[in-house]
Amino acid sequence: MARGRHWVALWLVAFLVTTWLVYARQTAAIRAARELADLRARRANLDGHRADLERRIRAAESRAVLVPRAQARLGLHLPSDSEIVLVPAPTGSR
Amino acid sequence: MARPAVRIQVVEFGVLVGLALLVGRAAQVQLLHGRRWAEEAQAQRTERIVLPARRGALYDRHGTPLAVTQETYHVGIAPNELRDPAADGALISRRLGLTASAWQQALRRRYAYFAGPYSALEVQPLRSVRGVHLESVLNRFYPDPAVARATIGRVGDDGLGASGLERTLDSLLAGRAGAAVVLKDRAGREYESPARVIAPPVPGLDVVLTLDAELQEIAQRALDDALHRMDADGGDVVMLDPGSGEVLALASRQRDGSARPSAFTDTFEPGSLAKIFAAAALLSLRRVSPTDHVSGEGGKWRVLGRTITDDDPQPSLTLADAIRVSSNIAIAKFAARLTAAEQYTTLRDFGFGSFTGIEFPAEATGRLRPPAEWTRPSAASLAMGYELSVTPIQVAMAYGALANDGLLLQPTLIREVRSASGGVRYRHRPEPVRRVVSREVAAALRNLLRGVVERGTGAEAALTNFPVAAKTGTARRVVNGRYAAGEYTASFAALFPADQPQLVLVVKIDNPHKGSYFAAQTAAPVTRSMLEQALSARTVALDRARLSTAAPRAAAAPVDDDGGLVPYVVPWPYQPDSAGARPRRAVPDVAGFGIREAVRTLHRRGFRVALRGWGVAEHTWPAAGDSAAAGAMITLFADPHAGDRIRARGSAGARRGPRR
Repeated sequence: MARGRHWVALWLVAFLVTTWLVYARQTAAIRAARELADLRARRANLDGHRADLERRIRAAESRAVLVPRAQARLGLHLPSDSEIVLVPAPTGSR
Repeated sequence: MARPAVRIQVVEFGVLVGLALLVGRAAQVQLLHGRRWAEEAQAQRTERIVLPARRGALYDRHGTPLAVTQETYHVGIAPNELRDPAADGALISRRLGLTASAWQQALRRRYAYFAGPYSALEVQPLRSVRGVHLESVLNRFYPDPAVARATIGRVGDDGLGASGLERTLDSLLAGRAGAAVVLKDRAGREYESPARVIAPPVPGLDVVLTLDAELQEIAQRALDDALHRMDADGGDVVMLDPGSGEVLALASRQRDGSARPSAFTDTFEPGSLAKIFAAAALLSLRRVSPTDHVSGEGGKWRVLGRTITDDDPQPSLTLADAIRVSSNIAIAKFAARLTAAEQYTTLRDFGFGSFTGIEFPAEATGRLRPPAEWTRPSAASLAMGYELSVTPIQVAMAYGALANDGLLLQPTLIREVRSASGGVRYRHRPEPVRRVVSREVAAALRNLLRGVVERGTGAEAALTNFPVAAKTGTARRVVNGRYAAGEYTASFAALFPADQPQLVLVVKIDNPHKGSYFAAQTAAPVTRSMLEQALSARTVALDRARLSTAAPRAAAAPVDDDGGLVPYVVPWPYQPDSAGARPRRAVPDVAGFGIREAVRTLHRRGFRVALRGWGVAEHTWPAAGDSAAAGAMITLFADPHAGDRIRARGSAGARRGPRR
């Protein structure tokens, strides 16, 4: 009779351990999935930030913005071709 | 009353029956219906989703992104899940740009949905708010939406290319969607699991266009300014590299501000622009010598029941004079030395009346009638550029053939096609269509065009230091099948510089209302302005080293006489941009380096670096060991798992022995 109770206890412990392992594994998986989703969100956020900066740099570099500002603030103008001298590039190797 | 033993037996029997039923039911559930229940459980905990493929990006020839795909978001709000509706509502309204009334309306609904799309930056603070559900979606993003809008086109609501190059290149750009199973928790939130990807999405290919973003901006601004100043109905600008057929800029604008791709689709009568093609036939077939003269008829000549007039009457003209002053009478008289078939064949050879073959979803062929359909004055009309309709891109390619020593090329908008990892799948090579005229005739024709700018109708396009070859064209416009009184198309085709041209420009102004309608006073100055801007731009695809040697008048220009103006402009730091002039050096092997170290190594070697990806440097383009000019852009491809692959390659290489 006592031997039977031992077996029942053993099976119960085995069941509990197995259940706990399944629970722990599922919990870890959910946590990892959550972290993965967070990382993806961070990457998307950084990508968006980079695209926004690139767009702003592009807009700031455009002739529509630069030329009027250079004219108004620095008194510069777009050169006519007579004001452009192209220096012949050296062709020989040193 | 039964005896206790009997009762116990009955209870035992009942328990046994109950257990048997339980075991039987368990067997039924597990063994007979097990698969169905497992599927149902799986469906409750998981969901099969489509993983959209990243659409390939479009870049200009220097790597400037023109169209990229980004992750954006639709936002769903469950008002009953919000912890603090007042505070959360203020944050949500601010991030989504909602008015107070719109937010109140959303609160009254069970689930409010805002399609946006909202950028990752906009929704970032909302990620931690309970009751906010984000649905990510890949969206097409145009960093500068105004640049080449009609050419690039747009993506439709279904994510497929709807117009322009987005449509033509859809099969390359779209990629292939994947599939995955996501885990769901009790609240229905989804979690991706890397182990449950059924088929990974295959990203689309990236396409490097031939367009030059800076030239494109120059063209668009110049065209917009011209249309505004002249109060014109519309216009087009085409710029291309005659040596490769690569289209560098395409600008189109209509009076209402729209920008349909009229350079490909709208035809016009080229007028005097076509005189050079009659001259090409005459010179190729040796029907005219340089000293041949025809009478100018005092500016008015009646032939075949029709009166031809010249705006600048001359007593007598050679072929060069006819082109220089754009004489209708002289070119009609010279063209009479050609047969109809010869005239037709020459125009056909230059590409008129047929598709150019450019990669665009819509293109007009224009109209060039075969000689059988000609009337008696058709030969004279065609020599003057009437009874012929062309598109601006056809004109650009035909003038490109003159610049390219008589070889007509197929135009292209695609320079390279690259895989997502940076490997080059396709690189454009010039594709000759046919030889139209000989090298010598092409040179003679360029000389005629040079005379137009130096002493003729194209003087307004002349630059002080650089020779330009060009032709003006002012043609009456056809409205409802008839020539409309007082309506003209002013056009101008230029080769820059006149010797070894690097750029072909075609400018067309539709029906200018203010000031002169002649191309000499409308389209020619626009061309000069664009050339000056292109010369002073930093990155424009001009070989300035070749230009500096091909500018014979540069030395003679008095740099001291400008009264305080800046005497010259040289880009600083000075980078001569001829491949031949810049010292070439080997690209170092940075595979396996961390990104920072790889970039430093490339910088130390004198290269600029464009970074693709992150993690460990995998390879470069141009590849390690190839040579590139100092200051050239090297694209560095990195990947978090590149180290493993490089080690695997290294050990495989070691087994095979050293590579030579």
